[in-house]
Amino acid sequence: MKNRIKVLRAEHDMTQEELAELVGVTRNTIISIEKDKYCPSLKLGYRIARTFGVGIDEVFAYEEDKDGPSSSDDD
Amino acid sequence: MKRLTYLTCTLAVAVMVAAMTGWSMAAGNFLVPVIAIPLGIIVILACRRNVQEVICDERLNKVHSKAALRTLEVIVIAGAIAAVILYSFMISDTLSPKVTGRVYTGEDGSRSMVINLYKPGSPETAENLIRTTTIKNINAMNEFEAMDYCQFRREAFLENERKGIAGMTIGIGIISLLATFGAFYLYYDRKY
Repeated sequence: MKNRIKVLRAEHDMTQEELAELVGVTRNTIISIEKDKYCPSLKLGYRIARTFGVGIDEVFAYEEDKDGPSSSDDD
Repeated sequence: MKRLTYLTCTLAVAVMVAAMTGWSMAAGNFLVPVIAIPLGIIVILACRRNVQEVICDERLNKVHSKAALRTLEVIVIAGAIAAVILYSFMISDTLSPKVTGRVYTGEDGSRSMVINLYKPGSPETAENLIRTTTIKNINAMNEFEAMDYCQFRREAFLENERKGIAGMTIGIGIISLLATFGAFYLYYDRKY
């Protein structure tokens, strides 16, 4: 899952701490999402998109894994 | 209140409650823990409510749940191996001390018996001898000799029995753990 959170934050002149506070998560979670290390829930995804005033598909983009759809990055 | 302040408060309260509980148990005063533990929980919960920052979120919850699951997996596997190894001390002949008995006939026709206990899996040599006892007349064993023999046998297998009991305890613990986890798993599996 790719995301444009860093770009959107820059556009809105927002720090990770501020975004974390607005969406109700820790700063570490925002860092992990930006680095594609953690895939947020749909609810959090919508909250982030709403914070930036855009649609969820403008923030997140799904990319098929090289190993196939059964592979997971959650482990 | 900031998150770090909350964590510091939690740590301080935990240390105080532990110290008070330890001191009161040692002094035989059982009323202090009954008051101190709930009071400590109330203080921590009150501090938690005043934290402005986010303490826990979905990523942390996921991390915790995964960590708990992995811990369970590791404990179950390691515990099962340990239980089998320890229990084998109780039932295995090769891991048990070797007991040998030799009967000697005296000039007066009385028969005595020398019982030796050797280290497990070792040849019957003097350096592998753990302990020995002699029954002077096996046809007329007196009360003290019988007690001595019983004590000898009990002590000989005591270490193995201890390990066996530890193995059984771990085994029962793992079964309880799995049963509890299974019950919760079925509950949440139906719920979500």
